[in-house]
Amino acid sequence: MKKLMTLLLLISFKAFAHPVIYKGGWAISSSNMPDYSNNYVMYSLSNRFSVGMDHWRFGQRDEDLNNDLGLLKLNHLLWRRNGEESQANVYLHGGLGVEDQEFEKKTLRGAYMYGLEADWETRTLYTSLKHYQFNDIAVTQARVGFSPKTAKFEDLQTWFMVQGMVINDVNEELMITPLVRFFYHNVLWEMGSSTRGEWMINLMVHY
Amino acid sequence: MKKILLLVLMSLSLGAFAGEVNVKVSGMVCSMCAQGIQKKFSGETAIEKLHVDMDKKEVHITIKDGQDISDDTIKKLITEAGYNVAAITRK
Repeated sequence: MKKLMTLLLLISFKAFAHPVIYKGGWAISSSNMPDYSNNYVMYSLSNRFSVGMDHWRFGQRDEDLNNDLGLLKLNHLLWRRNGEESQANVYLHGGLGVEDQEFEKKTLRGAYMYGLEADWETRTLYTSLKHYQFNDIAVTQARVGFSPKTAKFEDLQTWFMVQGMVINDVNEELMITPLVRFFYHNVLWEMGSSTRGEWMINLMVHY
Repeated sequence: MKKILLLVLMSLSLGAFAGEVNVKVSGMVCSMCAQGIQKKFSGETAIEKLHVDMDKKEVHITIKDGQDISDDTIKKLITEAGYNVAAITRK
């Protein structure tokens, strides 16, 4: 099972993308902090649905233990509003797979996840809220951010954001992470450090 | 009569030149996400050039001589990219 988990990790890139992009597009995403990581590869079947492989790792640093989940995931763009100056989205997520539990000193068991995600953005403001529920773990994350300058289609765009995240059954504390986001053409990358001194590195690519 | 004939010939010859299409798009606020518009149109052989203007919220399409792309195709591709077409203007 660990070999399968490793394979899932290797074949999945990391990036932090819209879970559903343009029809026929690939989104590759990686989000990383010391006690948490999420990697996925998603293929958009349409501009409303994407499917792919999703890997999650939740760590308990004090005990150097990890829970790993490998899931086949479906994402649905439930609602989108394309305004003249803004875009708002609501996504539904669902997945089934396996969990390798080091926390409980158990090996493998079946895993599920479901979640809701919403965002609203303009060319200079960004807000998002997401909640994911797994077997015994829940992740809630919120972000706000701004870009000091609009960028043309071909230019690098820079964002300053703050992320708040709670992972229950791992640390249950609110992690506040200021971060900087850059994107250029089809590549996005983010770097940050939480108020507890934990690093964050995220990368995303659209194909 | 000669003037009318000349005007008709001129308008016919203008139709043979490459066309320009301006598409007003709603929801285009993220340049990374808007890359999908380029991707969706990349398979259209009638297109000579495509430019995404984030400031004007427009997609400018230059069509090859003697070829064309229909409004329905443009709307379909923009929708598949995740956006809405607000208006299509042809020059």
